[in-house]
Amino acid sequence: MFQIQSRRFIIGAAASLATLSLAGLALGSGNAFAQAPVKGGVLIYLEQQPHDNLYPPAGGFYPNGGVLNQITDKLTYQNPKTLEIEPWIAESWTVNADATEFTFKIRPGVTFSDGTPLDANAVAKNFDTYGLGNKAQKLPISEVLTNYKGSEVVDPLTVKFFFSRPSVGFLQGTSVIGSGLVSLKTLSLPFEALGDATKIIGSGPFVVTNEVLGRELTMTARQDYAWGPKNLEHQGRAHLDGIKYVVTPEDSVRIGALLAGQAQVIRQVQAYDEKQVQSKGFIIYAPSTRGINNSIVFRPDNPLVSDVRVRRALLHATNTKEIVATLFSENYPQAKSIIASTAQGFVDNSGKLAYDPALAAKLLDEAGWTVGPRNLRQKDGKELVLTAYESLPQPQNKETLQLVAQQWAKVGVKLNVLAGDAGSRVADNLDPAKTPVAPAMVGRADPDVIRSQYYPTTRNVLLQKGGVSQKVQNFSDEKLNKLLEDIAVATDPVKRLALVGEVQAYVIDQGYAIPVFEEPQAFAASPRVKGFTFEAVGRPSFYSTWIAPK
Amino acid sequence: MVHYLLGRFGQALAVLALTFTAAFLLLQVLPGDAIMIKFMAPEMALTPEQIADIRAAYGADLPLWERYLSTVGQFLTGNFGYSIQAGVPVSKLLLTNLPSTLLLASLGFTAALILTILLAAASNMTGMGWLRAGLQALPSLFISVPVFWLGIMLIQIFSFQLGLVSVISPGPVEKLVLPVMTLAIPISAPLAQILMRNIDQVLTQPFVAVARAKGASRSWVLWRHVARNALLPTLTIAGVLFGELLAGAVVTEAVFGLSGLGGLTYQAVGNHDTAVLQAIVVISALAFVTINLIVDLLYPVLDPRLGSKVGATA
Repeated sequence: MFQIQSRRFIIGAAASLATLSLAGLALGSGNAFAQAPVKGGVLIYLEQQPHDNLYPPAGGFYPNGGVLNQITDKLTYQNPKTLEIEPWIAESWTVNADATEFTFKIRPGVTFSDGTPLDANAVAKNFDTYGLGNKAQKLPISEVLTNYKGSEVVDPLTVKFFFSRPSVGFLQGTSVIGSGLVSLKTLSLPFEALGDATKIIGSGPFVVTNEVLGRELTMTARQDYAWGPKNLEHQGRAHLDGIKYVVTPEDSVRIGALLAGQAQVIRQVQAYDEKQVQSKGFIIYAPSTRGINNSIVFRPDNPLVSDVRVRRALLHATNTKEIVATLFSENYPQAKSIIASTAQGFVDNSGKLAYDPALAAKLLDEAGWTVGPRNLRQKDGKELVLTAYESLPQPQNKETLQLVAQQWAKVGVKLNVLAGDAGSRVADNLDPAKTPVAPAMVGRADPDVIRSQYYPTTRNVLLQKGGVSQKVQNFSDEKLNKLLEDIAVATDPVKRLALVGEVQAYVIDQGYAIPVFEEPQAFAASPRVKGFTFEAVGRPSFYSTWIAPK
Repeated sequence: MVHYLLGRFGQALAVLALTFTAAFLLLQVLPGDAIMIKFMAPEMALTPEQIADIRAAYGADLPLWERYLSTVGQFLTGNFGYSIQAGVPVSKLLLTNLPSTLLLASLGFTAALILTILLAAASNMTGMGWLRAGLQALPSLFISVPVFWLGIMLIQIFSFQLGLVSVISPGPVEKLVLPVMTLAIPISAPLAQILMRNIDQVLTQPFVAVARAKGASRSWVLWRHVARNALLPTLTIAGVLFGELLAGAVVTEAVFGLSGLGGLTYQAVGNHDTAVLQAIVVISALAFVTINLIVDLLYPVLDPRLGSKVGATA
């Protein structure tokens, strides 16, 4: 096949998207497997930021996921193409009818890199820690394990988990980076000691053999690794002998080093640099994070945006097409709903998301916000001035918000975009009076991600009452919360996806969120790098990767 | 002299204690703390009860004085605590970052000194007016070049275009060549400006004319008579600059991807990582105090007239 310049894994969850899936498969294979893989070699990977705490449930931070995904295995494997859950460390499993009991059969002979066995006992201890937390060690509860009650080691290779309420999302939850399995020794460490990658003992294809904190990680392939996901073409040890992670914060240095042959793969390539990389024959990979789209959310507790007409007006005043065309590339598809078009249960809502400044003006007029002096809308002596903090991990978020501010200004609404230090950002983002608007996104390939994003006791992006914020006066949406609870407990997959569709329509109708684009994680690699793949939400996997000879 | 040293030592301790306390108090005034930043971020998706448990486990809500005393106690026993953001002991962060910063700063400083002396000497020894003017204009150019741009240009030219050095997996010496150049050029600028101006001033002194009248050559006068006199103010500035070097290598470290206190400080400030900042503040204060002490002790070596004054005040 010809040179693949870009391969965004185009995946359909439902069978109706089979044609797209085929396209994805065709792109996925291509020339990468035409030659026999070469064994050996060390791949140099340039990361933009150092990892921080590597407690696996904190693996959502992009740099953390990039490390954890190489060194830990998961109970199950979510096929990134079909999003089906497939065997990995668990050979098989059964779930009871109301999804409160899950029994897993563990693959025999798996060991952690410290030699200890990965058996039912180890798996039980891992999930007990992630599901219940540990106060003495300050280990927090994992986002994907709600209502976790406990475990039972049935026999050395059988483990059973119990939940206090139906937890349909748990099976997919066992496949995410945040549920990576680590040795009992790692589990015994306090939270504040888990930033040292050499202390994270997993059973994965690579082992961290050396770390220069904040700068460099050396990973070495495990020779005895024989338990990769069962359905992968590649089995046995990793092709590479090792990976060297080098933290290179400066964009131009990462790209220059890649083009000069000093590195083979780099993470975080800005959309405006893509052409430069591609024109030299290098390849951009932009796997979708397949969860909640890069969005702008409102905090209706703030009286300025408590009126649904104001929120819907701002939704129609936002020209997402212009944002994508001006700041991004084809790897950042314009959003069609609050979740990615590659996510499970996606429903195309683009009809409700149209850019329509006339409608926006009309809605604002109806809501009583009239254009005053300085071309700014006002009501009862108050001006419609909103504030948002930029989000550093999201690509060009400041530029995105500034462009949105220009678009909103056309209908007489002012948006202030703040940078701020991390302390003010976190504190103010919990206060709806200070941040009526906020950017948001999450990557997770399960409908549970919607519940997690909007539910008050989890991420709570709308700042409802009942979350960690003490500043919320009275905003709460019982209807939304009921729908979200139903997603968590719906055991019938068809009903579950129908609920996901309902939530998407409801959130957009209420103008709670303005989805902007489907966020990818962008990498660039040398054309000699083959078999470079990604797990379901775009974190890199080097297990099947190899470097072709010059 | 012993009295003088003891006095200076006491002063140094007082400076350290004050810095420590001021840093501790200032860090408390900032909105939010490291635990809030880490655990209340939406991606942790924790409930209010879980966060309360974690705050209690860290003792984050104890009264201010209690936390102050326990921090002081920890420091006195050599325990710098843990970085909440990075998840490693602060001592480990310091061990990784301090030596490389010290090495980079020392080499950068030495290179800057050599560059300064070369510039000053060359501009004074050349007979050609246009060359002299050109050399004297160089420091102004050096000081105006942004360090960030300079670093990236050096990498682009010497590493990516010419392939002379690797920036990603360099050897131990190779690793330092470009960063030292990047640091030395802007640091040499103020030093060279001061040295050149002082040389010009000293050259107008009567004793220079006397030395020249006795038949001394231009360069003999420069090295034997002028240099010593012109060096004193330069040394004072150098002491201040070296301290700045330690803390101010952030940009160089970021561009070259080097470990160092600069990057560490930047991260810690952003995340209100109190334990790390507290340690860095104490170390920086220690560095400033030590360097200024060394500079003060060097004065009488360079200028014997100052030696007696030191004796008189002690």
